[in-house]
Amino acid sequence: MTHSTSFIPPMWLDFEAFPLETLELSAEAIEAAIALSVQIPHEERQWQTYLNALALSGFEQWLEERAPELEVRRDSCSLFQPATANAIEAIANLQVNGFQLCLLAMGSLTDEEVTVPRAVVDLPEYTAHFYAIVEVQEEQETAVIRGFLSYDQLRERRATVNREAEADWTYQLPLTWFDSDTDHLLLNLRGLEPAAIPLPDIPNRTQHLARVRPQLETLLPQLHAPDRQLWDVLTWEQGTTVLTNPELLDWVYRLQRQEINPTATRQHHLRDLLQLLTQPAMNAGRWLQNELDELAEELAWTLLPAPSFAPATAMRSTVEEFEAIVTQLDRQGVNIPPEARGAYREISLGGTPLRVYAVTWALRSEFTPEWTLLLIVGAQPGSNLPPSLELRISDPTGVLVSLTSDIRPDNSYLFTSVVGTWDEKFIATLSLSPEVSQTLPPFSFNPEG
Amino acid sequence: MSAASRYWTFVRIDAAGERNIEEIAPAKAFFLASFPEFVTQGELSDIWVQRQLLSWMREAPAESPSPYVKKVAHAKGDRAIHSQPAQTDSRLLAHYCLKCFISNGIDRVCRDLGAKFGTEHGFTSEDLLPFVLDEDIRSQPGNHSYQSLMSEILQSFDPEQSNLATWTTRRVKHHKELNTFLLERGVYLVSDWAILNDTRPKQLQRILLEFHHLSAREIQQAKALLESYHAIYRAQRLKQRQAGIKGKCHPPTQEQLQQIARCLSGQTAETRSPEVVMSQLQDLASQLREYRIYARGGAAPTESIDAADEWGGTLADRICAHSLPDTVDEATEFLDFYRQQFRVCLDQTIAKVTQARLNRLIRKNPEKAEHFLLALYLFHCQGQSMGEIAKCINYKAQFQVTRLLQLKAFRADIEQQFLLQLCDRVLNRVKPYTNPQNLQAFNRQIEEILNEQVERAIAEAAAEASTTKPQPTTSLFSERLCHHLDTRRS
Repeated sequence: MTHSTSFIPPMWLDFEAFPLETLELSAEAIEAAIALSVQIPHEERQWQTYLNALALSGFEQWLEERAPELEVRRDSCSLFQPATANAIEAIANLQVNGFQLCLLAMGSLTDEEVTVPRAVVDLPEYTAHFYAIVEVQEEQETAVIRGFLSYDQLRERRATVNREAEADWTYQLPLTWFDSDTDHLLLNLRGLEPAAIPLPDIPNRTQHLARVRPQLETLLPQLHAPDRQLWDVLTWEQGTTVLTNPELLDWVYRLQRQEINPTATRQHHLRDLLQLLTQPAMNAGRWLQNELDELAEELAWTLLPAPSFAPATAMRSTVEEFEAIVTQLDRQGVNIPPEARGAYREISLGGTPLRVYAVTWALRSEFTPEWTLLLIVGAQPGSNLPPSLELRISDPTGVLVSLTSDIRPDNSYLFTSVVGTWDEKFIATLSLSPEVSQTLPPFSFNPEG
Repeated sequence: MSAASRYWTFVRIDAAGERNIEEIAPAKAFFLASFPEFVTQGELSDIWVQRQLLSWMREAPAESPSPYVKKVAHAKGDRAIHSQPAQTDSRLLAHYCLKCFISNGIDRVCRDLGAKFGTEHGFTSEDLLPFVLDEDIRSQPGNHSYQSLMSEILQSFDPEQSNLATWTTRRVKHHKELNTFLLERGVYLVSDWAILNDTRPKQLQRILLEFHHLSAREIQQAKALLESYHAIYRAQRLKQRQAGIKGKCHPPTQEQLQQIARCLSGQTAETRSPEVVMSQLQDLASQLREYRIYARGGAAPTESIDAADEWGGTLADRICAHSLPDTVDEATEFLDFYRQQFRVCLDQTIAKVTQARLNRLIRKNPEKAEHFLLALYLFHCQGQSMGEIAKCINYKAQFQVTRLLQLKAFRADIEQQFLLQLCDRVLNRVKPYTNPQNLQAFNRQIEEILNEQVERAIAEAAAEASTTKPQPTTSLFSERLCHHLDTRRS
C-alpha cells in the first residue's frame, strides 16, 4: 500500500452526498434489527448482527422498489436463526427467485477489504450464488447496495490469487472483486436460472461428526464465555461439524447465553446430544406393528405383547411383572392406552442386574402428531433398586428428566415418560456414579419407517 | 492573497449578508513588524508563527486593553531576539492576527463545500458562512455568555497537537448547525463515533499497521481503546436505539468517557482522564477517516456513460463477428422476426415499468407521482435541464429532481425487462429450429447480441441525459418514452 503520511485530504472529501440509490431505513426496520441483535450473547457480535439486519432490510427494500416481481424467501435465512447468526457474521441462505444469496454488511468505515466468513464460502450449507455488499450508514439510517460477486467468479479469482483463510475463519477479499454495477445483479436474478451457477452439494457429515465427537465433548464447554469465538477453541475441521449442525450451534448459543447451567448438567447434556447426533436410533414406532427393527434385535430387546393379549409362556414372569407395574402406574394416574406397545432388555450396571422396559404410543393431535416414551427401570424380582441409581433422559434441547432411586419410598422400580413430535429423538442413560453408567441407544418414532 | 495576508485580512458577513474581506491595518502593521522574515523570505513556518502569536495573546492581562496600536516594536535580527511589543497592544494584536487566520480558514471550508456540492444541492458558500462566521473581530473576548465558534477554536487550540488551519477545519466540519443545514440538502459528514462503531478491532489493526505504519505497541493500545469504546458507547447506542432514540451519534458523555477509562484500566495499569480518552478517540477516528477517504477514493463506483462508443459496428457486424455456426440461417430468420417485435416490446416495457414506478410513488405520496410524470416529460420530451425542472415543480435543488427521477435505475429496469421479454418471445419462436444441444449455446449468443442492441438504444438516451444542455431527444428509447408520455397526457 503506498501513500504519504503527510497527506491532508481536501476537506470536502470528508463530506459526501447521499448516493442517488440511497435507501432510507424505516423506524420499523431499525426496531426489528435491534430485536434480532439483542438475542446475540456478545456486544461485538451484537453490533454486527444489528448491521446485518439493517442490510437485509435495505436489500429487501431495494428489490421491492426495483424488482417487485422477484420472490424473496427468508425462511432459511441465517439472520433469523440466532444460533447461526451468533456463529456466522454474514447473512446466508436468503433466497431470491430460487437463488441463494449471501449479504455482507459494510458499516460507515469503508474498507478496501471485505471480510467474508469462511463458512459462506467453504461450506456448501451456506454457499451462495451471489454475494452482495450492502453499505449501512447506521447513523444516517440509510443503506446502499454496493456490489456483488457470483460464486463462480469468487472461486475462479480465489484460485488465481490463492487466498488463504485467516485464523479467525474469514477471507479478506478485495472490494474491487465485486461488481459495483448492481443492475447486473438484478439482470442475473431476473434472467438466469439458478442452475447456471452450480453450487457444491452438501455432503453427509454424520461420519465426520462421529470422528470428532470426543474432541467436541471436551472443547465445546470452553465456549462458555460469550466473548469466545468458535475459532478460539476449535480447528476448522472441528468447526465445520459444529457450523453445519443446527443442534450443536444451538447448544453453543445457549451455553453462551448462560442458559445451560451448572457445569455438571452442561457436560451431561453435551454428551447426550453428541450421542443423539451420532448414534443410530431404535425405531420404537415399529413396535406398534409388532416388530423390532434390526438395531433393537441386535441389542437384545424383546418385544412385549400388548397388555390384553395372551402372553407367550416363556415370557410369563416378565409379562406378569410388567403388568403389575402397569397396574400400579395406573393407580398413580399414569394411563397407558391399550394400543401402546413395549419392549424390554436386561442390562447389568456395575454388576447389578436391571431390567429396562420401554413403552411407546402415538398421540394424535390436531396439529403435530406426537409420541410418548415411557421408561421403567426395574430391579430383579424380589429385590430393591440399588441406591443412587440415576435415570436421565435428554433430547437435543437438554436434559429433560433426571431421577434417582433414593427419592422413592418404594424403590423396586423407577419410571418416567417424555413426549415429543415424531421427528424428535430421546436418549436415556442409567448411572450409579459418574464412572459406572450406561447409555441406551437413542429412541426414535416412525411407525411407517 | 499571499500566505501572510491571512493573518491580517478578516472575512465577515456584512449587514447585507454579503461576504466581505476587510484588511485590519493594525494587525497588518503588527504582523509585518513582528515577522518580517515570514513575509519576505517565507522562512518561518505557520506553526512557529502561531505559537508565538498565541503566547503573546495569552500573556497576563494588563490594566485595560487598548484597541489601537500605539507603538510597534521593530524586530531585527534572528528569532531569538524578537523584542516584545508593548504588552497590552501585543495581546490584542496577536489576538487579531489569529482571528483573521481563523476567519480565512472558515471561509475556505465554506467555499470548498460550495464549490463541491453547491450547484447540485442548491446552496452557495454564502449560505454556509453565517453559521460559522459568527463574530466581529472587534468584539471583546470573554465578555459574553455566548461563545462564538471563532473564540472556541482559538481557545481550544493547542499548538503542540496540531496547526491552526487543520484545527479550524476540524471544528468547522463538525459544527452542528452547519451539518444540519447540509444534511437537509443531502450532504452529510459521517461522525467520528459512527466510524468507530463500525470498525472491527481486526480492521483497525490492519489499517494502523499497513496504512499508518504504527508500531505493534501503538496498535495494541489503539485496539484496547476501541474495544473499551465498543463495550461502553456502542452497547449504549444499541440501548438508546431500543428505547426509540433516533439520529446522529453524539460525542461520548463525560460519564461514558469515565466508563471507557475504567474499562481500559482493567486492561492496562494506568487510568486516563476523560479528556485524554476523548482526544485519543478523536485521534483514532481521524486516522480511520484518512484511510476511509483513501478507500472511498479508490473504490468509488464509476459510471461509464461513454460505454456506447466502445461497441462500434452495427448489429449485423456483431452477428458476423460471432458467426453462429450451424445456426446462422436460423439467426437471420429470427432477426426479421425480432425487428418486428423490437418496437412492440419496447413500448410495452416502457408502459409497464413507468406504471410500476408510478404505483410505488402513489403509495408513498400521490403528489410525488405527479411530479415524477411531469419531470420525466419535461426532461425527455421538452429537453429541459434538471435545474429548470426543479424550478418548474417547486423543488429546492437539482439533486432532488435527480433523486425523484432515478434515471439510471429507470433505464436499467426498462432495459432488463425489455431484454427478458424479447428473449422470451424470441426463444419461443426459435425453439422449433434448434436441437436441445444447440439451444443453450444459441440462447447465450442471442442474449449477448440483444443485450448490446438494447443497451445501445438505452445508452443513447443516457448520453442525452448526461449532456449539460440537453438536445431535443433523438434516441429510439426517448422517442418511444415520449410517445408513451404523450399518450398518458392525452
